[in-house]
Amino acid sequence: MKQKLKYLRNSIIEKDIFFLSYFLIFIGLIILFSASKGVILTKEGFFIKQIIWVILGIFLVRIFRNSDYRNLEKSIYFFYLLTIILLFIVLLKGEGRASRWIGLGWFYFQPSEFAKLVIILTLSSYLSRRDVKRFSVLFTSLLIVGIPFFLVFKQPNLGTAIVFILIFIGITYIAGITRKQLIVLYLTAVFLSPLIWAIMKDYQRERILTFLNPMRDPLGKGYNLLQSKITIGSGGFIGKGFMKGTQTKLAFLPEYHTDFIFCVLAEEFGFLGVIIFVLIYYYFLSKILEIIYISKDSFGKLVATGIFVMFAGHFLINLGMTLGIFPIVGIPLPFISYGGSSLLVSILSVIVLSSIEKHSTLF
Amino acid sequence: MDRENFLKNFILFFIYVILLRCFYLQIVRYPYYYQLSIKNCIRTIETGIPRGIIYDRNGRILAKDIPSTNLVFVPYDIKNVEKEIEILSNIVNLDKDYLRKKLTKKYSNPFDRVILKRNLTSMEISLIEENSYNLPGIFVQEGIKRLYTFGKKTSHLLGYLGEISQSQLEKLKEKGYEMGDMIGQDGIEKQYDEYLRGIPGGIQVEVDALGHQRRIFGKKEGQPGNDIILTIDATIQEIASEELGGRQGCVAVMDPRSGEILALVSNPSFDPDNLLYYLDERKHPEKPFLNRVIKGQYPPGSIFKIITEVAALEIGTIKEFDRIECTGVMEVNDRIFHCWKEEGHGWVDINLALPFSCNIFFGTVGMKLGVSKLIEYAKKFELGKPTGIDLPGEASGYIPSSQEADPLNLSIGQGPITTTPIQLLSLISTVANGGNIWQPFLGKKIVSPKGEILKEFIPNIKKTVYIDSETLDILRKGLKNVVAFGTGGRANVEGLEIAGKTGTAQRASTEVGLPTHGAFVCYAPFDNPKIAVVVFIDYGSSPHAAEIAGKILKRIFLPEKIEEKDETETQIFEE
Repeated sequence: MKQKLKYLRNSIIEKDIFFLSYFLIFIGLIILFSASKGVILTKEGFFIKQIIWVILGIFLVRIFRNSDYRNLEKSIYFFYLLTIILLFIVLLKGEGRASRWIGLGWFYFQPSEFAKLVIILTLSSYLSRRDVKRFSVLFTSLLIVGIPFFLVFKQPNLGTAIVFILIFIGITYIAGITRKQLIVLYLTAVFLSPLIWAIMKDYQRERILTFLNPMRDPLGKGYNLLQSKITIGSGGFIGKGFMKGTQTKLAFLPEYHTDFIFCVLAEEFGFLGVIIFVLIYYYFLSKILEIIYISKDSFGKLVATGIFVMFAGHFLINLGMTLGIFPIVGIPLPFISYGGSSLLVSILSVIVLSSIEKHSTLF
Repeated sequence: MDRENFLKNFILFFIYVILLRCFYLQIVRYPYYYQLSIKNCIRTIETGIPRGIIYDRNGRILAKDIPSTNLVFVPYDIKNVEKEIEILSNIVNLDKDYLRKKLTKKYSNPFDRVILKRNLTSMEISLIEENSYNLPGIFVQEGIKRLYTFGKKTSHLLGYLGEISQSQLEKLKEKGYEMGDMIGQDGIEKQYDEYLRGIPGGIQVEVDALGHQRRIFGKKEGQPGNDIILTIDATIQEIASEELGGRQGCVAVMDPRSGEILALVSNPSFDPDNLLYYLDERKHPEKPFLNRVIKGQYPPGSIFKIITEVAALEIGTIKEFDRIECTGVMEVNDRIFHCWKEEGHGWVDINLALPFSCNIFFGTVGMKLGVSKLIEYAKKFELGKPTGIDLPGEASGYIPSSQEADPLNLSIGQGPITTTPIQLLSLISTVANGGNIWQPFLGKKIVSPKGEILKEFIPNIKKTVYIDSETLDILRKGLKNVVAFGTGGRANVEGLEIAGKTGTAQRASTEVGLPTHGAFVCYAPFDNPKIAVVVFIDYGSSPHAAEIAGKILKRIFLPEKIEEKDETETQIFEE
């Protein structure tokens, strides 16, 4: 017993990355349990399904926790090509509608989730051998992210597309992009935007405007936002108590178990719960920052950066949109939101991080 | 190292922003949001979606939206179900069981308004308003209703609207359709639903304990649907509907030069204003929702002789003046084959055989041709295949394989072969225009509410069949004589040359389930065909069908000479 406590203390102090992510998953399951109204076998059964995903994730950790992330470099272009093909299939299948899924029987997966990790690995592998300060290299990097960006943007999945941009900026930044290059990229984007705006169709513009101002569509996103704010605000300082949230139980928010899961936490555990949760999440993110600091090879450092940007981006955008300070783009809160693809990608990313950490301390 | 630190500070900054925001929402604004949350008083109210107008080719309105009043309720606000059912059932003419089912059903969003009854009368409205205190959660709401200007006369053509079904919803969810939406369930309304439907608008309001509106949070203007202009000519549609009268059957009129459908009528029809009455199948075994023009699968009967004649002349099985003797009966492999005329037609060549529709002549020719040639020519003219008309649910008919059919029966259009009336209309149009198979169509133009043309449908030749001009001349002459002195004599109109062909089939098709039917296809004027018509009469005779077709053509081409309804009505069932 004493040994176990000691192990637990060490895990927290040494920031064992698996321990931290399991802890986040555990918090997620508690919130999901409340969101499923305490009924384990609901009609949708998302709580049970999430547990199956968690078990699958732990299984993945068991198998791969000792593998070497550098082996990934050999087959990364194959995975990159596969991802592009899958994204293309999703796009064709969706026929321009908001479709993000590929179904394999009972199991649906979202190629755009896996695309994030694949892009991080591909871009890092490419930039670890070349100098980003050369414009031709920067241009190729732009292309590596640009193709999947375009396919995801067309779906349309604006949230994931934004995360792609963040990943690109994060990795090239740590790879040593110059200030001049940053200014050129920035100016290009600024000058291109009115041009793109001009060639967009009316309904596409309307979509962007609603995206920037949800209240333009009071029946859709505006409704979600208002309900989201009521849910969070009504939590107060200490919250309504576990399983006692009224807003989420009455199905005001249609996506409370996926994109708006933070509302459930804020309503039931209040401002106090929010502070503790944000600190725990920051603790996890700061661990990744440490891995970026200590990693010795360029590939590992860039991969860790990309994963950091991915988690931090999701965390900030997801909370930002539920709080009404960021447009509603529909991206999940890693480890917490219901969703198999998102959870597995998060766990795979943690396995990669752990491998980077291990190999940087071997020398 | 600088850059790594920048990452850290960047994240920390945004975490502060998020915590500040939470502090504002959860501490500063707590009383406000808490109040909103305990009262559950945010409601979304959808306002009606104006649907596009359906016009005929001359700009006459066939269908449009008009204001109406609906009875709605908010499931969450219903507190005392039995009491409200008691009050409601006395006010509106609704079944208690229906009300109980609607009011107690579990809704995915209990705050969305659900429609209980459409088109309230002013009496009902005032009674509900009077009792509003006893009916929390039940309201009168402005809505819209679809008005079909020509009522039952256009019901199969335009179709009707109905609440979206669960299976439709699953398919159309991603196109923005929602539960409770009214969508086209048949005809043009279904075919062009995506264009006709508007984008729903609505308001978001705060309501008090009784569910009455207090404050508006947001408003979204609905966007009306697009209008559609059809190829239909409302005048011809009315003529066709009137001439068919109450008889069971169908009429379609087409321009043989383009495939534009000018009229499409099927009987019995339904009243789009009183759907519930017609939807009860037990009361209506004659299938009022069956659009016979495109879904009725009938054996073509003697109309098929057009195919037999073209095949025989083109291949050279027979020459124009080759004669065959018809004694009224013939024996083939121990089977007795009758002509419809018991005493026989005597010695006839093809110029007489077609007008008199001699079965012995065409049976003999068909045997010489062989089954596979007959099938080949039937397929050449696209029989047994959907024409591709822009209406949902077109049937294909059936062309038997050479093992299934025997040449004797097939050459006169009997046996397992079935076609739809629209296919036969397409066939006669092809003869009229000399070989072009046009795709029949109804949608001409789609126009946005602002008046821009969004889409224009251009006539489409599906296929061109080569017919020798000599063959064509013999065939057309024969068709003219069908009306001049043959079986289609009752289609004769003074001052108008009509070419046509009668058809009667003894065998019932499984779809319609009737013992016999009479059919007539024709086009006019003979020299310069502008109009093609098909008429089918269930339980009727082909001369009767010919008579209806004649009357329709007369009223189209010679409108001033409208005759009084004559006394021949009584003898129509005689051959």
